[in-house]
Amino acid sequence: MAWAGTGVLWMMSGGIMRSYGMSQLIDKTTGGLKKGLTIPSSDFSFVQISDSHIGFNKAANPDVVGTLQAAIDKINAMSSAPAFVLHTGDLTHLAQADEFDTLEQSLKSVKTEKIFYVPGEHDFTDNGKLYLERFGKGTKGNGYYSFDANGVHFIGLNNVTNHVDGGLGYLGPDQLKWLENDLQPLTNSTPIVVFAHIPLWAIYPQWGWGTEDSAQALALLKRFGSVSVLNGHIHQTIQKVEGNMTFHTACSTAFPQPAPGSAPSAGPMKVPAEKLRTMLGLTLVDYKEHDHTLAITDTPLIA
Amino acid sequence: MKKLTILILLAGATILGSATIAQNTGDSQYTNLRVLSRNITSKELMGIMTDDIDDGLGVSCGFCHAPAADGHGLDFASDAKPEKKIARGMMRMTLTMNKRYFKVRHPLLGAPSLVLTCATCHNGQALPVMEQ
Repeated sequence: MAWAGTGVLWMMSGGIMRSYGMSQLIDKTTGGLKKGLTIPSSDFSFVQISDSHIGFNKAANPDVVGTLQAAIDKINAMSSAPAFVLHTGDLTHLAQADEFDTLEQSLKSVKTEKIFYVPGEHDFTDNGKLYLERFGKGTKGNGYYSFDANGVHFIGLNNVTNHVDGGLGYLGPDQLKWLENDLQPLTNSTPIVVFAHIPLWAIYPQWGWGTEDSAQALALLKRFGSVSVLNGHIHQTIQKVEGNMTFHTACSTAFPQPAPGSAPSAGPMKVPAEKLRTMLGLTLVDYKEHDHTLAITDTPLIA
Repeated sequence: MKKLTILILLAGATILGSATIAQNTGDSQYTNLRVLSRNITSKELMGIMTDDIDDGLGVSCGFCHAPAADGHGLDFASDAKPEKKIARGMMRMTLTMNKRYFKVRHPLLGAPSLVLTCATCHNGQALPVMEQ
């Protein structure tokens, strides 16, 4: 597999998180891993994709279906199929039925067992009516849920109910209470993966890149030895490690946004056509149970 | 002084605008549209709200729309938030200025033919930054 652009490989071993910039790992002349480096084997892997914005047709990317398909092709080209795919929201741009149809149709070709979703604010502009009709079965409240896979507890949250001025995410008391009850029977050693659309850490609140009441959720997660928080929304890769928690935001499959504070506001960013696919991508997560290894690798779309 | 002049110009244009926009009639899935056409499609409406207003002002729906009484989502028809009234005035002003000063014959929000849009002045900020 050829790699290009930026990204980070996360490895957790014995509770210690280490990160490696992709530039440290990639041989720029060949596009492959540097000689002597090997990606550790894993018990299972899953992929995160985000912010497909099906229906978007502005200059920043007039072909969002095409770039989603490029992400799907990347997934299908992996040497072993991921156990499942997480889509961290903004499936659509305008929450229209035909946009949801197109997304579902496209994702049918992904070689994986299942796709899990959480909504983005663009999917919830009708208060989530269409989204919940399609993806809300078996979920609680306005679309949150949890499941277990290979000993890892996954929690999908909805923080896009638009209750907060300024665009910040919001979980709300009902969801927080549910989260508390959901976590209650778990031992501290259970690895946790939380996924939600808007970052659960304050990346740049001036642009709404944070969640107003996330501190309450993170307090509930603090006792666990390994917590990975996967988000979308900001259309770029940013990571932070705080204690046992690893925060990671994924690239969009549709269009990039400016780095925090580098422009007057957030929003679709037009880049030269040849650069676009280097700024879009997907995230692969490998988990190895006995080594307590969780490796998160971002892959740009460009070959 | 420059700031005052701009505000007077905008206010004047808003008043003119409210007189020039035709009332729409017909069935609608929306119950409280005052500026946008009552026959607007969901896609057109969401496009204006998302691409013009949200991105233009750097806000999300809750900036203008009040929370629903049952605590789930937003009450889009409600006029409880004063920001919504201001937004209507701004939409009227935008249409009027496009027609009056930029000679756009049939200005429609969301249309690519508009010369002035929300983003022209707001530039991604809820409150436009004006030179002193």
